[in-house]
Amino acid sequence: MSSTSIPRQVYLLASLNPYQGNWTIKVRLTAKGPMRHYNNTRGEGYVFSVELTDDDGTQIQATMFNTAARKFFEVFDLGKVYYISSGYLKRANKTYNCVDNDYEMTLNENSQVEEAVNEPVLIPETKFNFVPIDQLGQYLHKKELIDVIGFIQHVSSSMSIRRKVDNEIVPKRDITIADDTIKSVIVSLWAPLATGIGNKLLDMFDASPIVAIKSLRVSGFGGITLSTITNTIIDINPNSPESHKLKTWYGSEGSTTKFEYVGSTFKTGLINDAPSLYSDRVGLDYITNNLSLGEAKPVYYTTRACMSFIKTNQSMYYHACKTCNKKLTNNVGSGYSCEMCKTTQTDSNLRYVVSAKFSDTNGEAWMSLFADEAQTIIGCSATELDNMKSKDDGGAYQTQLKKATWVPHVFRLMVAPQEYNNDKRQRITVKIVSPVDYAAESKFLLDDISSTQS
Amino acid sequence: MDTSSPAVLVNGDLLRGYVGQRVRTVIQVVRPEANGLTGRSTDEKQIVVKGQMPAPLTTFVEVIGVADSAQSIHAEIVTNFGDSFDTSNFNQLCQLANGEYRHLFI
Repeated sequence: MSSTSIPRQVYLLASLNPYQGNWTIKVRLTAKGPMRHYNNTRGEGYVFSVELTDDDGTQIQATMFNTAARKFFEVFDLGKVYYISSGYLKRANKTYNCVDNDYEMTLNENSQVEEAVNEPVLIPETKFNFVPIDQLGQYLHKKELIDVIGFIQHVSSSMSIRRKVDNEIVPKRDITIADDTIKSVIVSLWAPLATGIGNKLLDMFDASPIVAIKSLRVSGFGGITLSTITNTIIDINPNSPESHKLKTWYGSEGSTTKFEYVGSTFKTGLINDAPSLYSDRVGLDYITNNLSLGEAKPVYYTTRACMSFIKTNQSMYYHACKTCNKKLTNNVGSGYSCEMCKTTQTDSNLRYVVSAKFSDTNGEAWMSLFADEAQTIIGCSATELDNMKSKDDGGAYQTQLKKATWVPHVFRLMVAPQEYNNDKRQRITVKIVSPVDYAAESKFLLDDISSTQS
Repeated sequence: MDTSSPAVLVNGDLLRGYVGQRVRTVIQVVRPEANGLTGRSTDEKQIVVKGQMPAPLTTFVEVIGVADSAQSIHAEIVTNFGDSFDTSNFNQLCQLANGEYRHLFI
């Protein structure tokens, strides 16, 4: 892999083409993507990409698969300069490649990468080109990636989404940010940002930190949401003039201002993208009176309701595998085994699986709650609840559950019919729990009243 | 619950219609006075309140008392309502409570 130090002919990136392979380039690594696992019709493997910039300022994306990926992942460090030769060039695939070059490069195990040790390491400063939140509308459904800066208003709990393309479960977290255009927007953080930075933001969100985010996709149907991609960069409380300006504005006016979601009205329904909590609002009686809802494909609604009854003698949690969250088989006396991961373990996570009755002003319905949502409603983790149950006479356990009843929340529900012993039933699952914003709820009700009056 | 003299939900404009009667409203504190305060109603009218105030005062207060003129209330109960309050929601509530739905309130 490592060449001799014979002076070599260095080519400029701009001069490279697929028909002449005998080149060496001298480039700085200006971006390094994460190692990703893929599984598609052509097989499975590992891949990662880097962005290379030469003296001229030309940039090119280089991708490595499997053996080459493993070989070069540790070699490539952000900001360092490398001599590279024996790579392949081909036309850039704009779906996966946002770098400005007609070509992209692939390196395989025979490619040569050597660090130029005499060159200074220069980690490039992320260059942002912020779009004010109220201007996001013009970027809707365009391929262009945008940058935003705003302060955090809300951080959701982590959600598990099944990715349609490969059936894999990926974590997602939604954050709401706002800026001085008095508009707010939801940014969906996908793995690894959902867990990494996402967890950090969840811990610090009451300090309303400023985040500067680079490379977001704009999407939405009637409303606007932003989504992260593999190359998205998030800086928390950056030391930049825009960040300071926003922090000052927040301190003087921003903390008491009322914000509106950009591009949305209360009645807008968003099905696939992050829903507004005011879209598809129904009462519980609407759902329970219509058993064929969600027949072809599950349907989603939002509602405001209280948990009114929870059976205290049901089994509210299960022993879950620490890696994949599937239910563990209890090998009495010798720990647990996981059928999915094919391992045995002595330790497990307790995860919620709860069935409870909910009520609102018009009706009531039984619903299923899992994990994070159950934890938000019950107010403690499954492990803590289990500890309360076995302590003394279980008084603390009963009190905890009682305290959780008759507390209003706003829910996002998934509804589908279910056959049970030839009986047509309904399965309602709580997908998201949100606190009630009383001012916004009042506005929504006033809106509703005036629309029924006319 | 004593329902003998219910307080009518009013804003600045509606106050004039209930002089001498028991009213309730939420106002933004503009200036504390010696024996009361000057406030701004949710429809931007000035309202003077006389009576005992809680100390310290938050930005918004609810006043229940007898209207002694079109712009002043003799307060019986003054309650701190905090520093953030949606005035437009309250204003619309006052209009509904005195409009076609007043039978639900009084």
